[in-house]
Amino acid sequence: MGAVRLDRINRDEAFRYMGIRGTADEVTAALAEECEGRLLGEITPKYCWVTAEIADISESEVTLSGYKLSLRGRDIAAHLSGCHAAVLLCATLGNGADRLIRLLQAEDMAKALIADSLASAAVEQVCDIAEEEIRSRHQGLFTTWRFSPGYGDFPLDTQRDFLAAANASRAAGICLSASGMLTPTKSVTAVIGISRNPIERKRQSCEACNLRGKCAYRKTGGHCGE
Amino acid sequence: MNKKEKFQRLLSENEFVFLDGAMGTMLQAKGLETGGVPELLNLEKPEWLTEIHGAYAGAGAQIVYANTFGANRYKLEETGKTVSEIIPAAIKNARSACVESTLVALDIGPIGQLLEPTGSLTFEEAYDIFKEQVIAGADADLVVFETMTDLYELKAAVLAAKENSDLPIICTMTFEQNMRTFTGCSVSAMALTLEGLGVEAIGVNCSLGPRELEPVIAELSRWTTLPIAVKPNAGLPDPVTNKYDVTPEEFAESAAGLVKYGVKLAGGCCGTTPDFIRAVVKRLSGMKYTGQDAKIGAAVCTPAKTVEINQPRIIGERINPTGKKLFKEALKKGDIDYILGQAIEQINAGADILDVNVGLPDIDEKEMMVRVVKALQGVTDLPLQLDSTRPDVLEAALRVYNGKPIVNSVNGESGSLEAILPLVKKYGAAVVGLTLDEGGIPKEADGRFAIAERILARAQELGIPKRDVFIDCLTLTASAEQAGAMETLKAVHRVKNELGLKTVLGVSNISFGLPSRELVNCNFLQMALTNGLDLPIINPNAALMTGAVRAYKLLANIDENASEFIAAYANNAVTASVSAPAAASPSASKGGAMDLPSAIANGLKSEGAKITAELLKTHDTMDIVDNMLIPALDKAGADFETGRIFLPQLITAAGVAQAAFEVIKEHMLKTNGETVSKGKVVLATVKGDIHDIGKNIVKVLLENYGFEVIDLGKDVPPESVLEAAVKHEVKLVGLSALMTTTLGAMADTVELLHQNNVPCKIVVGGAVLTPEYAEKIGADFYAKDAKETVDIAKRVYSEE
Repeated sequence: MGAVRLDRINRDEAFRYMGIRGTADEVTAALAEECEGRLLGEITPKYCWVTAEIADISESEVTLSGYKLSLRGRDIAAHLSGCHAAVLLCATLGNGADRLIRLLQAEDMAKALIADSLASAAVEQVCDIAEEEIRSRHQGLFTTWRFSPGYGDFPLDTQRDFLAAANASRAAGICLSASGMLTPTKSVTAVIGISRNPIERKRQSCEACNLRGKCAYRKTGGHCGE
Repeated sequence: MNKKEKFQRLLSENEFVFLDGAMGTMLQAKGLETGGVPELLNLEKPEWLTEIHGAYAGAGAQIVYANTFGANRYKLEETGKTVSEIIPAAIKNARSACVESTLVALDIGPIGQLLEPTGSLTFEEAYDIFKEQVIAGADADLVVFETMTDLYELKAAVLAAKENSDLPIICTMTFEQNMRTFTGCSVSAMALTLEGLGVEAIGVNCSLGPRELEPVIAELSRWTTLPIAVKPNAGLPDPVTNKYDVTPEEFAESAAGLVKYGVKLAGGCCGTTPDFIRAVVKRLSGMKYTGQDAKIGAAVCTPAKTVEINQPRIIGERINPTGKKLFKEALKKGDIDYILGQAIEQINAGADILDVNVGLPDIDEKEMMVRVVKALQGVTDLPLQLDSTRPDVLEAALRVYNGKPIVNSVNGESGSLEAILPLVKKYGAAVVGLTLDEGGIPKEADGRFAIAERILARAQELGIPKRDVFIDCLTLTASAEQAGAMETLKAVHRVKNELGLKTVLGVSNISFGLPSRELVNCNFLQMALTNGLDLPIINPNAALMTGAVRAYKLLANIDENASEFIAAYANNAVTASVSAPAAASPSASKGGAMDLPSAIANGLKSEGAKITAELLKTHDTMDIVDNMLIPALDKAGADFETGRIFLPQLITAAGVAQAAFEVIKEHMLKTNGETVSKGKVVLATVKGDIHDIGKNIVKVLLENYGFEVIDLGKDVPPESVLEAAVKHEVKLVGLSALMTTTLGAMADTVELLHQNNVPCKIVVGGAVLTPEYAEKIGADFYAKDAKETVDIAKRVYSEE
């Protein structure tokens, strides 16, 4: 829970988001090095999570005990099948990332693009750190991978109740804009199922990814699950 | 007795004033679902509320917070209840549970949406939301703004309270262990800004336990003279069990440890119960209120950066159209990016504060000032000096400024004193006082000193602290009035030493009409610094001027161990008179002759600009554009399409072309007053969408091809797109949307343009868009990337 520190950002992952296949050219690599340093100096990564008991799973809805939040859709119901609890995870880089990306857009668009992709990679790293903590706090149990509102038929308009249930505004400073975007923009929400029995790990597909639809790598035919 | 007096009496008659504890924790214990709307219970379960308030009052709370934390228009939107139904009921519930002497606070938390620039809620909208709450809560005894993390939102709240009620105000913000709020606000910035705005008490609540809050309270006590309020959490909640880890006794013990920092008001936040309040009351009984020993010097701030005027600080003068053709052109076109570029250059050169002047006869100065201030604070942490001759422009800027700024300026004329100083007081700014009056600028130092005294006296009468008055003794041109220079310096010396005020001086005027101006400027600057100048207003890009300030700080033993000086010059000796504006590019050191296409292909920005300047001596501008720039860009575009280069390289190439274009534009403005335009294109990221990097990439590429882009920014309502398309008679409108949730706004915009029969084509693009959807909503073109948008623009404009 709380603040975490990143010492590095996964540049290869960021290059993929930019649609780069193979290795990056010298100019891009140098810019990425600069942007990574500046980004690490500006971000304040944070995450928060709560474990909620699952009250009921139907074919297309999961309800939680004591929470004003229902997780709708066949995909989330399938994702949580066999689970007795769900962790609601929220993670963010803080608004320093937004600020730097705004600054870079006035300074040099190439840097802005690279910093934007690096920030997307960084917030996934924050989720990875959070997930490790979540696993360690659920010893002897099994966890699913992260499933976010917007994946499959899990509606994006779940975000508002999701953030309220996870106390995300107070605990991590994450809010929703009027049009339903997470702010700060480099933020992620996700559900992790907790089960007493081993979970068959389905391969994570492009359908269930935060970059779904925006991934330049995918647009050029790449696929990072391979 | 009015409510402010009643509050002050409570403070003066009690050693400490006790506040209540958590509301949410108590309601959840009674059965409220996590994530539910607690404010509805004011109507549904009033008996729960009277029980809770009664328990807190019984435990010793002298101020109870009504259950109104989230009772705002936005959070209530899906409940079917209104602010004016909930808030009076909540206050009634609190009042009915307490004795007469207990004060009931209208409790207001964050709206729940982030403000601009990271969010889409504007400062003005936030003000309206708070205003509605304040008006609905008129029956309360005071208003508390708590759990705030954004100083900007809090400023909107405080203005809403002060302008729509006479309630006393307590503000508490929520800090993390790094001594910052989530949005990066520091303790000093909070204190400087809120004390300036004139609230009754400030402090800290939520987030951490009382022990972890100690360093935050210690820092706060350095920066404010106001009574300090604390409401810590009962430690931190466990995410699995949702339980807090501090007992009432531990909590009270830690709270007692905060008394030495001047805490006056104490209560609890998340996880605390009446037992915690009872324990605090018991533990603090017999202790003495100590107050705090604040040592506040002259300082200005933004949320993330406080600049103390305890040594010379450079005010950058470049955001000013006077004598600058490109700047005037940018103002007329509303090209905010150009102005941001001017800011970034000065920041990188070493400015500590930026002066902002956007006065130009042909534009709406007030509207432009607000836009520029908002845009600047979106990208820089440097405090601003708001510069205008018009009080209405200054007030508009003071309202939307986030932090504590400097107002430039007031002078000794009675009209100026009466118009400007009340604004400075209301918004808690610092002010530059010019030593001139109805009689003009006194020739001698004595006359200027007398005006400075008069300005200070008037400011103090209005309650403006002495530390916030900076005096400008005015630089006269040495070539016209050679004796004037020493008089200015004498005046600086006297104001600094006899009045004890900070001094400010525009320096470059001194050399007007002389050769080797920089030589004169530098020496005058050194003489002024030696005479006590604190705030030189200079061009920080002039390396010798910035260097003179750094050297002075070194020699005056201000720059300890010369660390600032060495950091600035160890690898970068001062040689050039003005530092090169373009940032160094990677591999810029590669030798060999370079032409424009290869500079573009290799991403070499400053080389690109230099080569272009050379080419302009021998080539026609359009020759350079059509035969060098555009073919090089076409090649980069083709390489991108075939996968030989990737997006970052394409954008880097575009950046070089942009630098070359800047040079061409400047040249054309100088020679014939025109600019390149192959046609105008309106670009906008649609309503609700705040992620506009894609649109900005398209903009850079279009400008590279000579198109004039009218950039409406992000979160743009359909009506604004319509207005711009009609006004500028464009043939092409480009719309971008990133989220599935904002595609509807794109469809609305297209429809509005069609309904009004605007004779333009529409191109749409964005991450989640498909050609099918583009066709469905009636767009003329779908562009899969920035390159394709350029191809479409070329096609549309060649059909003439």
